[in-house]
Amino acid sequence: MGVVLIVAAKDLAQRARDRSIFIIGIVAPLALAFIFNLVFGGGLSDVGENITLDMGVVDADRGPISDAFVGILSEIESDGLIDLTTYDDEAAARAAVDGGDVGAVFVLDAGLSDDIQAGSDGVIEVVGDVDAPTTTQIASAIAEQFAVGVRRGTAGALASSLAGVIGPEDIAAAAAEATTAEPALRIGAVPAATRQLDASTYFVAGLSVFFLFFIAGLAVTSMLDERREGTLARLLAAPISPGSVVAGKSLTSVVIGLVAMTVLVIASTFLMGATWGPLPGVALLVSAVVLAVIAIMTSVGALAKTPEQAGNLQSIVAVTMAMLGGTFVPISGGGFLERLSLITPNAWFLRGLGDMAGGDVSDAVPAAIVLLGMAVVGGGLGLLLIRRTVRL
Amino acid sequence: MAGKVLEVSGIRKRFDDIQAVAGVSFSIDHGETYGLLGPNGAGKTTAISMIAGLRRPDAGEIIVLGQPMTPTSREPKAAVGLVPQDLAIYPDLTARENLRFFGRLYSMERVELNRRVDEVLEVIGLTDRADDRADEFSGGMKRRLNIGVGLLHRPQLLILDEPTVGVDPQSRNAILESVEYLSGEGHAVLYTTHYMEEAERLCDRVAIIDQGEIKAEGTRRELVRRVGENDRVRIQTTGSSARAISRLEDLPGVVNALSGDGSIELIVEDASAVLAEALGIVAEVGTSVAAVTVDEPDLEAVFLHVTGKALRD
Ligand SMILES: Nc1ncnc2c1ncn2[C@@H]1O[C@H](COP(=O)(O)OP(=O)(O)O)[C@@H](O)[C@H]1O
Ligand SMILES: [Mg+2]
Repeated sequence: MGVVLIVAAKDLAQRARDRSIFIIGIVAPLALAFIFNLVFGGGLSDVGENITLDMGVVDADRGPISDAFVGILSEIESDGLIDLTTYDDEAAARAAVDGGDVGAVFVLDAGLSDDIQAGSDGVIEVVGDVDAPTTTQIASAIAEQFAVGVRRGTAGALASSLAGVIGPEDIAAAAAEATTAEPALRIGAVPAATRQLDASTYFVAGLSVFFLFFIAGLAVTSMLDERREGTLARLLAAPISPGSVVAGKSLTSVVIGLVAMTVLVIASTFLMGATWGPLPGVALLVSAVVLAVIAIMTSVGALAKTPEQAGNLQSIVAVTMAMLGGTFVPISGGGFLERLSLITPNAWFLRGLGDMAGGDVSDAVPAAIVLLGMAVVGGGLGLLLIRRTVRL
Repeated sequence: MAGKVLEVSGIRKRFDDIQAVAGVSFSIDHGETYGLLGPNGAGKTTAISMIAGLRRPDAGEIIVLGQPMTPTSREPKAAVGLVPQDLAIYPDLTARENLRFFGRLYSMERVELNRRVDEVLEVIGLTDRADDRADEFSGGMKRRLNIGVGLLHRPQLLILDEPTVGVDPQSRNAILESVEYLSGEGHAVLYTTHYMEEAERLCDRVAIIDQGEIKAEGTRRELVRRVGENDRVRIQTTGSSARAISRLEDLPGVVNALSGDGSIELIVEDASAVLAEALGIVAEVGTSVAAVTVDEPDLEAVFLHVTGKALRD
C-alpha cells in the first residue's frame, strides 16, 4: 500500500504541474456544457411549465367513448397544457402532423365505442411527429391512461380523475411510463435518461463522463511515459511490485476523476441550475462511473505501445462511447441504437441520474450496479493487458 | 566480509535473431570496481538489465549477496543501485523531488532520506539547483542527477551503464570523480563503458566484452600482459591507408595491423626492429605520414588483440 500511495502522490504532483488536468477535467466540460445549454437548452425543455403542447384529434367514432376521451382532452386544454385542434378526417390530421402544425394527433376510428361496448378491443391511434418526441410521448401517455380506465370499465370516473388531478409533473411522469401499445404509433422515443433530466443537467452530466474518459486515459499514458522517460527501468529495478505502480497510477486517476466530477456537480448546480438529484445517489453514480471509465480506458490504453498511440486509441473510444451513449445527441428511436447505447457507461450514468430524478435514491442502484460491473470486467481485462506495458 | 557481492554465471539473452548476451560469467568482490569494456552493441546493457533484475535471463544465474536476482526479487534489488544508460529521471520534477521519490521506493525513512538527499545533491554538485525542474538542466546536469538517484539508498552494488556518454568534459570528470569517491567509500561498482581511458582509470578489473561474450578478463596489468611484450605503433596518415595495411600485415614482426581514423595502428613485437621498414612501406604505397607514436600497449591494444578490431567504431 505504501508504494501505491508514493506512486500516486508523485503522479498527482506531476499532473497538477502540467495544468492540462484542470483544463480537461473542469474548465472544458463546464465551458462546453454552458455553450450546449445556450444552443439546445430551450428545445429540450419543452416539458416546462409555460409550454403548451400542440395536439390534434380526429373523432370519426362520435360515440360515448370518443366523447369521453375528447372531453378529457378539452379539460386538459382548459388547464392550458395542450392546445387542441379538431380535424375532420385522418388525412387532414396526418398532414397537420407532417406540416408541423401539431406534434401529435389522436385518431378515434369509426366504431370505436361499438367495439369496446361489444367487449372487443378498440384502438386509439396516436400519430406523432418525430421532431416532437415529448409531445408524442405525452399524447401516448394520455391515450394509455384512458385505455387503462376503459379496460376497468370506468371511463367516466377516469375522465374526471384525469382532468382534475393531472398536472405537468404527472404528465411527465406518465410520459416516462408510456408504453407504445398502439399500432401505427410513430413516435420518436426519448431515451430513459432524458425523460426526466433537464437539458442542462443532461448535457453537463454527459460531458462530464466524456471528459472523464480523458482523465482516465492518463493512467495508461503515464505508464507509457515512464517507459519513454526511461524511468520504467528504475521502477523495475526497485524492490517493489509492478502491480503497485499500476495501482498507484489508477488511484491517481480515480482521485482526479472524483475531484473533477465533484467540482462539476457543484459548479453546474450553482452556475447553471443543473439538478443532479439526491446527493447519496449522485455520489454513488459518480463513483461507479469513475471506476467504470478508468477500467475501460486502462484496457484500451494497454493495447498501445506509445503514449501517442494510447492517446489516439483512447480518444476514439471516448468519442465513440459518448456518441453511442447519447452525450451529444440524445438517442431516439427506441430501437437498435438505444440498445447499443447500453454498452456504454455514458448511457448508464445518464440513465441512473434520470431514474433517480423522481427523488428516490434507490432508483440509482441498478445503473450503479451495471457501472460497477463494467468496472470489474474492464479492470480485470486492463490488469491482464497492462502487464505488457510494465515490462522492458 | 565473506562471499561476493555479485556472481554472474553463464547468463544468456536472445532477442529474435540476435544473441545479445551469449554466456557471460564474472564476479565482483566487496569494494571492487569492475568494468565491462566493449563497443556499442556488445551486449553490455542487456547484461546489466538482467543483473539488475529488469529482465529474466534465458539461461544462467545471477546471485547478489548470496541471493538469486530475478525480476520479482526484493532483497537483492534493495542492495543494488542502477544508473541506466538512458536518462531515467522525471523531467517535470525537481532534482530533489526525483531523489526523494526514488528514495522512498527503497523504503528510506523520512529523516534519513532528507539528510541523504542533501548529501547526494552535494556529491553530484546540484545543491544550488536542487529545486529546479530537471528539464531545465543541461545534459551533464541531468546525467549527474541520473547517477545521484542510483546511489541515493547507499546500494552495496552500484551499477553504472555508460554514464559519461554524450557528456561535456567537465561533467564527465565530475562523474568519474563521484565514482571514485563511491568506490573509496567501499561500494562495489559495476561500470560499463566503451571508453578505454575510463576503464583504465576506474576499474580494478576489466572484462572485455564483444558480441555478447567476455573475451578476456583481468586487472589492467594482466590484460596488457596477454598482448605480450608487444609495442603499439600509431602512424598518423593523410591519405588512404588501405593498401598499406595489407602489406604491413605480412611484415615479419607485425602482430596486428589496423586502419583507424586517419591512422594506422600496429601491434609489433619490437618497435625499433620494424619501424623503419613499416614507414618505408607506407611511403611506397604513396601514403604520407603526419606523425608517429610508439606506446606500450593499453586496453585498446588488448581489445584489438583479443577481438581483432578497434574498440571505437
Ligand atoms: N530490446 C531489444 N530488442 C531487440 N534487440 C535488442 C534489444 N536490446 C538490445 N538489442 C540488441 O542486442 C545487442 C546488444 O545490445 P546492448 O546490450 O544494448 O549492447 P551495448 O549496451 O553493449 O551497446 C545489439 O545488437 C542490440 O541491437
Ligand atoms: Mg548499452
